[in-house]
Amino acid sequence: MLTSSVLTSGLLAQQGQPPGQGGAPEIDYLAILPIIIIFGAAAVGVLLEAVLPKHQRWSVQVGLSILAIVGAGLAFAYYVSDAPTEGITTIAGALSIDQPALFLWGTLLALGFGSILLIADRSVEPGGAFVAEAAIRPGTVQDRAQAQTTGMQTEVFPLALFALGGMMTFCAANDLLTMFIALEVLSLPLYLLCGLARRRRLLSQEAAVKYFLLGAFASAFFLYGLALLYGYAGSVKLADIATAAAGTDRSDALLFGGLGLLVVGLLFKGSVGPFHTWTPDVYQGAPTPVTAFMAACTKVAAFGGMLRVLTVAFESTSWEWRGVLWGVAIVSMVIGAILGLTQTDVKRMIAYSSIAHAGFLLIGTIALTDQGVSATMFYLLAYGFTTLAAFGVVSLVRDSSGEATHLSQWAGLAKRSPLIAAVFTFLLLALTGIPLTSGFVGKFVVFSAAIEDGMAPLVVIALVASAVAAFFYLRVIVLMYFSEPAEDGPTVSVPGTFTTAAITLGVAVTVLLGVLPTVVLDWATAGGGFAS
Amino acid sequence: MLVPDTARLGADAIVASGQLAQSESGMTGLESYVPLILLIAVAGAFAVFSVTVAPLVGPRRYNKAKLDPYECGIEPSPQPVVGGGRVPVKFYLTGMLFILFDIEMVFLYPYAVAADSVGLFGFVSVFIFIVAITIPYIYEWLRGGLEWD
Amino acid sequence: MTPTYYLLLAALLFCIGAVGVLIRRNAVVVFMCIELMLNSVNLTLITFARIEGGLEGQVMAFFVMVVAAAEVVVGLAIIMAIFRARRSASVDDTNLLKY
Repeated sequence: MLTSSVLTSGLLAQQGQPPGQGGAPEIDYLAILPIIIIFGAAAVGVLLEAVLPKHQRWSVQVGLSILAIVGAGLAFAYYVSDAPTEGITTIAGALSIDQPALFLWGTLLALGFGSILLIADRSVEPGGAFVAEAAIRPGTVQDRAQAQTTGMQTEVFPLALFALGGMMTFCAANDLLTMFIALEVLSLPLYLLCGLARRRRLLSQEAAVKYFLLGAFASAFFLYGLALLYGYAGSVKLADIATAAAGTDRSDALLFGGLGLLVVGLLFKGSVGPFHTWTPDVYQGAPTPVTAFMAACTKVAAFGGMLRVLTVAFESTSWEWRGVLWGVAIVSMVIGAILGLTQTDVKRMIAYSSIAHAGFLLIGTIALTDQGVSATMFYLLAYGFTTLAAFGVVSLVRDSSGEATHLSQWAGLAKRSPLIAAVFTFLLLALTGIPLTSGFVGKFVVFSAAIEDGMAPLVVIALVASAVAAFFYLRVIVLMYFSEPAEDGPTVSVPGTFTTAAITLGVAVTVLLGVLPTVVLDWATAGGGFAS
Repeated sequence: MLVPDTARLGADAIVASGQLAQSESGMTGLESYVPLILLIAVAGAFAVFSVTVAPLVGPRRYNKAKLDPYECGIEPSPQPVVGGGRVPVKFYLTGMLFILFDIEMVFLYPYAVAADSVGLFGFVSVFIFIVAITIPYIYEWLRGGLEWD
Repeated sequence: MTPTYYLLLAALLFCIGAVGVLIRRNAVVVFMCIELMLNSVNLTLITFARIEGGLEGQVMAFFVMVVAAAEVVVGLAIIMAIFRARRSASVDDTNLLKY
């Protein structure tokens, strides 16, 4: 199974060889060092998996993953300290390392670090949230036995690193083919990670099947869009497509057909609007640390890619397609807000919340101004940390059969564990967008960018949708504080170092961005836009 | 219009070059197919000869094993009924490994064709690619993915 | 013989695949339909490469093939896992997550 991810990462190495052109392309190794470190560590992780005895694997893999992300972060920081403001393109124009790409890389590395901490935790559930032997059939005697062991399928760590590397490549991809390969490198490990839960394994495997089939379906759409755009522009480089679209003598059917199919693939990954159907099921079925990883990081990657594609390649034709994406944004916000009200499961509720948030993000994405780009990136950072911490908290509330995710089980939680209830309340308020949280600042910058760009009606709808969504967040808060706890209610586990660190990180960033947003906003707005 | 310049297609050129090759070789019409027809005839005759002569000259020993679904004599143990029987994961695993390591050719073949023009950089790229697929191979091997039993 | 026919054939194959994904019930067959869609993309790419007269489209088709193979392996592994648990690969049977 791992083979495939290694294979595709190998293909990324191959990307350096442009077709039909001799000689070596220029490669700025310093600029792409973070990606190289992440992929390299993932490959080493696979090797270690093969040579190490079972009892050593967990500690070595956790050390390696954390080391890799920290190392990539240091390399990233070193490069950022004197990166050219206007950005560069490297590997024969396959990757564009410009200011938005660097901001998103920073976001992804930080969120990836938090996710790895959640994945590594073994204190909340003995042995961690992942299955000990994925090959054992669910529901058998062996399966019940393995639920008691403390082993875990440690391939999870290299898989997560591959996904993270894919996401970073996706944000910086400057042509559609690189983008497609990166999309697969980030998706394939996630499909597998979804199916590796220790408890409720059938549910988890079903989530994996659904995510896989729908994800493959969506990437087929993306790919057909790529093919049509290749036919339109004679190249898949974003800049060449932009040049071709500026001319008028070509077939519009190819351009808009290609754009439409491409965007459907991207919207699917971002769990936007009518392409969201997988989101609640997969968020619910996947192991909670993986859900946190998907909700935080995949969203960053998907919207990062969407920002780049729409801004670089299709800005000149925005009059033609923007109306459609208006509609998609409205549908997404309405679906997220209305269906979120009817949910009885905490994880599903946060999933619908993420669909509503995807609608807000799409508003910032289609603004197509510098302000819109920086606002969307800020929103991604803010939302990522809040949702990461929220899923961290969800993993703590448990009963004898695992996580207690049904809302009725959360009744009166404040009486059992005031601290956890307070933390979760704060995170829900941040998701609602209450002032002094990062959620407020995020919504504020996105909506003001949209108004600047003449999308006031859309902003009004967004405000109504966030008011409706506020209701279901408040319902949970009321339930936790003003209901009597059930007799056989769940207990709140005392989190170990890793989960504590991840939740603290998420909460701290949520507070910090709410109180002092300028630090990050300055960085998001500084420097040039996309380089291509 | 989907096709900006049909003249660039070269489809006609291929047909033309085919006709050219035929006229140069000095044969016309069906004559050029004679070797092919001969080959087919020989192959067919050999097949018919083998099938008919083998039972005539070979020894005949009938026993129960010959009537089994598999001539090795081992019954396919759990019968494949709906909702029962075992799923042979081994075959699937082998097939999966085959697909993965087989498809690598897709990259090695173009490299082999263009090895001269892509130079050292191409060589290093392909080398990294081969290293990258060797890692999962080692994983597969050491974790017992290649053992049949 | 214009390449438009190949483009139409590819579009048709893509539609057959897409419809198949939506109406078939067996996960393996659904997956085969997705593969059909990917192959129609390959046909499109190669036709456009012919029109352009370049190699880029053909090289992209190689990439699509390799990615499709990787996807097959991951997908079959997941489908196999759930098949062993359920003795059925029907997507209708996977209903634990429907509320």
